[in-house]
Amino acid sequence: MPPRLNIWSAYRALSVRTRAFAQATQPGPAAQTRGLADNTTSRFPPSASGALPPSMLPESEPLAYTSKENEAALNQLRMIEYGLSPLDPSVEGHKYGLPELPLPSQKHAKHRYDAVITQVTKLLMRDGKLAKAQRDMAMILNYLRTSPPPKLDPAKPLLPGAPPAHHLPLDPVLYLGLAIDSVAPLIRMRGFKGLAGGGKSLEVPMPLRARQRRRTAFQWILDVVNKRKSKGSGRNMFPHRVAEEIVAVVEGRSTVWDKRLQVHKAGTSNRANLTHSGIKGMI
Amino acid sequence: MSAPNCLRGLVRPSATIPISAPRSAAPRAAPIGLARPAPFSTTALNARRQDPNQQGGGGKGHVRQGKKLKLGKFKKTAVESKGKPPLPGERRAYRKRITLSNDNAIPVPWLKDIGADGLANAQNIARVLALPEEVQDQLRASEAFKPTQCWGMFRKPSLLVRKESVDLMNRIQTSVDNKQTLRLVVTGDKVTGKSMMLLQAQAHAFLNNWIVIHVPEGQELTTACTEYAPIPNTDPVQYMQPVYILKLLQSIKRANEKILAKTYTMTGHPELPQNITPNTPLLALCNAAKEPDSAWPVFQALWNELTAHGTAANRPPILLSLDGLAHVMRVSDYRSPAFERIHSHDLALVRLFTDTLGGAVQFPAGGAVLAATSRNNAPRSPSMELSLAQREAEQAKREEVPQKDPFFRGYDDRVEAVLRSVQVIRLGGVSKLEARALMEYWAASGMLRATVDEKAVTEKWTLAGSGVLGEMERAALLTMRI
Repeated sequence: MPPRLNIWSAYRALSVRTRAFAQATQPGPAAQTRGLADNTTSRFPPSASGALPPSMLPESEPLAYTSKENEAALNQLRMIEYGLSPLDPSVEGHKYGLPELPLPSQKHAKHRYDAVITQVTKLLMRDGKLAKAQRDMAMILNYLRTSPPPKLDPAKPLLPGAPPAHHLPLDPVLYLGLAIDSVAPLIRMRGFKGLAGGGKSLEVPMPLRARQRRRTAFQWILDVVNKRKSKGSGRNMFPHRVAEEIVAVVEGRSTVWDKRLQVHKAGTSNRANLTHSGIKGMI
Repeated sequence: MSAPNCLRGLVRPSATIPISAPRSAAPRAAPIGLARPAPFSTTALNARRQDPNQQGGGGKGHVRQGKKLKLGKFKKTAVESKGKPPLPGERRAYRKRITLSNDNAIPVPWLKDIGADGLANAQNIARVLALPEEVQDQLRASEAFKPTQCWGMFRKPSLLVRKESVDLMNRIQTSVDNKQTLRLVVTGDKVTGKSMMLLQAQAHAFLNNWIVIHVPEGQELTTACTEYAPIPNTDPVQYMQPVYILKLLQSIKRANEKILAKTYTMTGHPELPQNITPNTPLLALCNAAKEPDSAWPVFQALWNELTAHGTAANRPPILLSLDGLAHVMRVSDYRSPAFERIHSHDLALVRLFTDTLGGAVQFPAGGAVLAATSRNNAPRSPSMELSLAQREAEQAKREEVPQKDPFFRGYDDRVEAVLRSVQVIRLGGVSKLEARALMEYWAASGMLRATVDEKAVTEKWTLAGSGVLGEMERAALLTMRI
């Protein structure tokens, strides 16, 4: 049985003494002189009272030890006296100062990369080889940096607020994120079994969260990439195919845009199902 | 006759129709008309092919025609690839292509071109300098650029001048001034810039109008990937590599076109397919090699002309360099007619290089023989490792010079003879000042999106194992965190 954790159990340890503690006897001076076995010079300890006759005490005070550090310490003591904080923790004792708080997310080992990049890298991963996926991602970003600026297609608009095309290669993370977010679908179709009558399922459009939208979009991109033929050989093959598809998405040439349109059309035609009596309270 | 037997008479005779014979009749032999010969086949596959109706086994004799409903998982047949397959060598060319410029990168305003003594000047230490256009073409022709280096990220190919590079250029320059031949091996850890050091030496040579002969990969000579043939009248037999030498001759010609046109032959070469008379430009001599068959004699003639002593007034200094030294310091993968492996030093081109590195050949106007080791792709060569360690210890005047392991048999005397008196430069990380110059260049090009201050420099320098250049690139340029 576990001991009870309440206040009463603590009282068991309480005891009341009616008398004061007996004073321990002070060890005599001879006992205090015991030194190490090899220390032959142990003598009586210097006691403040009457170790030396007053005639033998020095007249003047010994010279204060002065040095640069001592001066600094004295200054700090004076500052404390005036109620000031003598130490600036961001300067004192740190070669590069203290980090600013709260820590920026990049300083955290698990959030050191951009959120989109982290998610997409894990989608690139096969057989649990994260390091390879990260190298592939680095190569994708490098390809985006070195490829010529994309020629945008006004029929396939990117997200509003996107920077001009010639800015994109210099910020490949933005480039990749923009491509993925622009083709990401807003909804998915969810089927409720047997509600449409005749054993058919009732298709109802459901909104997606940002992370889900990105995942869907990148899976579509990967589907296209896996059907592409690679040009070169070696370790650049896969990342270059992915990067070419990203450029194709931004330029509006990719078939991923059609998939997005298809999903959105299905959502529009089925939006009446949102008020179906069978799914009331289920969404 | 009973009714069921009558009806059976109307059925088409078939092998698998069960016969409702009385049980007592079952052990007896089957009727002759229904008996089937034992299948004769060599393999299980053929056996199955013989009677397609047997598949279902047992009583099912009928096979449904047309589409079948497939239940369960079936292996998909491999999809035939559409379009024509890539031509031989096309994929490799795509992998190995070298891009020297990135139009997206911001041009750096303060970047200056390297002058003739730019790499030998100590004032340029920890500065980034650009390669002039002409030198770029020459370096490209001599295959000094490598696809793994980050040339394709910046507007112009540029170099960081290190302390070691100034040291090396000064050593080369001194030996050229004294008409001597510098023999030197560049070694160091992975990605510390050994190949880049060779490139800098070549750039220095091109800027000063020297002749450069560069073997970009020692591996290509000894891994039996190019043709070889014995050279007649040699004892012990030497081997030439005609296809490779033709390629090398063409790259020498393209890289050194100007200077070869101004240098003339001293003797005639009647043995060549194209008769070369004295006072012909060496460029014409290079052009005499049109086919692999004539490549080796032409190369030998060119080499003899370049190293001819005597009235050596107008011979330019020569830089001979090779990357991947360990590959030429071992027994090659080629086989002799007796099916014994040929030592690399019996290959004529390699021997020419090792003789020069060993000090047997002196260039008339001075020059340098440089070799760089490789750490990523290098076979073990115990003699080379030992010799380099010994030379290094001797140069540093250390008391303990590494000695041979008396219980190890893998040493190679020919390798040791070559490396007996070479100089060694060991590369390590760069200093923080050099790292800072490099990072400022990256940031000015728009490739590093960060403030370059002491903190950032120290961070990358430390991450890169005390400033190993390749690791700094990995930490700052080739990362997911841009």
